[in-house]
Amino acid sequence: MIRVSGLYKKYDHAEFPSVDHLSFSFPEGCIAGLLGPNGAGKTTTISILSGLIKKYSGEVEVMGMDVKKHAEEIKGKLGIVPQQIALYLNLSCRENLRYYGRLYGIPPITLGPLIEQLLKRFGLQEHGDKQIRHYSGGMKRRANIIASLLNQPALLILDEPTAGVDVQSRNMILRFLKEYNEEGNSILYTSHLLDEAEALCQEVLIIDQGQGVIQGSPAKLIQEHQTDNLENLFLKLTGFRVRD
Amino acid sequence: MKRIWATYIKEWHLMRRDLGGLSLLFLMPVLLISIMALVQDAPFKDYKNRKFEALIFDQDQGKISQAIQKGLEESGQFTLIRQHQNQALDSMTILSEIKAGKYQLAIMIPKGVSSEIYNSANLIANEMGKHMGIPGSLPHREAREGINIQIVFDPVSKPAFRIAIVNALEKFTTRVQFDIIMDRISALSGQADTSKKLDIEKQLRSVGVKEMQLHQQSSGIEKSNSVQHNVPAWAIFGMFFMVIIISENMIAERKGGSWNRLKSIPGPFFHLLMGKMLFYVLLGCVQFALMVLVGVYAMPLLGLDALQLGQAALFLPFIVISIASCATAFGILVGTVFKTTSQALPVAAVSVVILSAIGGIWVPLEVLPDSLKVLSVLSPMRWSLEGINTLLLRQGSLSDLLMPVSVLMLLSAAAMWMAWYTERKQSGLV
Ligand SMILES: Nc1ncnc2c1ncn2[C@@H]1O[C@H](COP(=O)(O)OP(=O)(O)O)[C@@H](O)[C@H]1O
Ligand SMILES: [Mg+2]
Repeated sequence: MIRVSGLYKKYDHAEFPSVDHLSFSFPEGCIAGLLGPNGAGKTTTISILSGLIKKYSGEVEVMGMDVKKHAEEIKGKLGIVPQQIALYLNLSCRENLRYYGRLYGIPPITLGPLIEQLLKRFGLQEHGDKQIRHYSGGMKRRANIIASLLNQPALLILDEPTAGVDVQSRNMILRFLKEYNEEGNSILYTSHLLDEAEALCQEVLIIDQGQGVIQGSPAKLIQEHQTDNLENLFLKLTGFRVRD
Repeated sequence: MKRIWATYIKEWHLMRRDLGGLSLLFLMPVLLISIMALVQDAPFKDYKNRKFEALIFDQDQGKISQAIQKGLEESGQFTLIRQHQNQALDSMTILSEIKAGKYQLAIMIPKGVSSEIYNSANLIANEMGKHMGIPGSLPHREAREGINIQIVFDPVSKPAFRIAIVNALEKFTTRVQFDIIMDRISALSGQADTSKKLDIEKQLRSVGVKEMQLHQQSSGIEKSNSVQHNVPAWAIFGMFFMVIIISENMIAERKGGSWNRLKSIPGPFFHLLMGKMLFYVLLGCVQFALMVLVGVYAMPLLGLDALQLGQAALFLPFIVISIASCATAFGILVGTVFKTTSQALPVAAVSVVILSAIGGIWVPLEVLPDSLKVLSVLSPMRWSLEGINTLLLRQGSLSDLLMPVSVLMLLSAAAMWMAWYTERKQSGLV
């Protein structure tokens, strides 16, 4: 579903590249984890995959299409859940979803039921008319995910969807990701919670300072490097230096 | 079209919950209009419409002083005060009263003014008689120097006011002198028959100077008054305050990540800008309409004139839409260029105030110094006000609107292009 080779990105005025000759690929239909410490370049990589950052070098293919050439087509099939709550805080959840849904060109007849079904799936049906600013952190995260599911994306990319979320919300989100994957969709998500990734992902890529460190299935990697879990492997590979 | 409409609806939901923004857009201009119209009411008022109290100190008690007092009273603009605290006036009290600012002017007619005028009239009549071969001589003596009617003005009174009063008094005295001369000439020639005398008054006015009104037939709006200037001016100012609301919204959109979400949805981004534009242009029109209502119905409640619209007001939508587009485009530009509200807000507020100042919003353009008049060409507010004045004051036609409307549309297009270019630059497309 994703093929990246020689990806390089240096922001204007930045001293070091944020993504430095990164190459990797994830197979179709899996839950993949893009892992790394703060500032490793996860968000930058995801932004390039979803077409938000257009100035980079290297080759990036998403769902078999070159990101630069088929940006619009990819956008239609992709769902991206940003790290921030990318919703209008003064609008209710339903108003937000209706707006984004209409921008996708979904006709009102199908949009209404779709929104209700998604709200129900994430336990927000009762709170659909509340303004987002009155939501708790976990509710905001769930609403943020719903907004990225309106076009029923074949590939869902999530940037730290479980960061700072209470246990119940987190559990609901992770269960959803599994189900959504079982429905035949691919998922790429970033996290720095390694036990979570270990349990969820069929395939992980660990990056540090913009460079790829290691890729493979969690179980295989743990076995190969003779550690007990992904976290120890991660520390072993990326070192103990504290990141800013 | 659906995307534009959806964005329009979204902006509406956001706006109706933004009480601060709504009061900035609606309450503030209403307050500004009312206060400014009241404050500027006096300076805008013609002296014609005001009544002054004038002190009269008449030591002459002759024909000339009667004529002056009659003339002033007949003009209807002066109340003549001849006594102070039931005492006859004297020059000391007059000077102290004027100094204290209690009266705008005092007229002091010294003893001997009438006799001096008779004397000089006799002199002139004798001289004229000689030329016409009429014998005889009227009694006269050498003219005395230095007998003048004196006027004292309140030091704060304006030069135009002083000139008007001096002119009026000179006119009265000349008329009296002329009257006397004619009398003397008839006396010389032995024709005492006054019934055949020319109506001097009338003859002197046979050629006069009269102000012509530009729009007598249409609606009787001739001159800018405080309401006529301040209502459109501050309505425009209020419309440009949208710059603050729009840029604030756009920056919040970007910071919150909605911007990126919008960009990750397929379809031209320009639709979203159009939806935004449509909403704010309509909002601007509603704003203006409200201000017009305030002008027409609320101004009289404050004791001011009502805003006069006239027939040309039918064309107001053309100029109002252009003004609103320009304000919106400017807001979108500010919201695109700046990354934080702490940068954008001061820039937006200060630039709106400055552009208004050089655009003739605070005081009419004519009053500005020449250097600023040149600069005003750059201010969208100048063209906005010009367009509205064309309709409301000059009763202009659609073709008179061409210039202001095109300039405003050009400025809007330029701002939108700059916003679009900045946006593309930021996402690494250029
Ligand atoms: N817009 C930007 N301009 C300059 N530098 C940036 C920008 N965004 C991120 N960076 C830098 O790029 C590096 C990678 O950032 P990011 O991709 O956000 O990392 P992660 O998501 O893994 O925490 C960091 O060092 C960060 O400071
Ligand atoms: Mg990140």
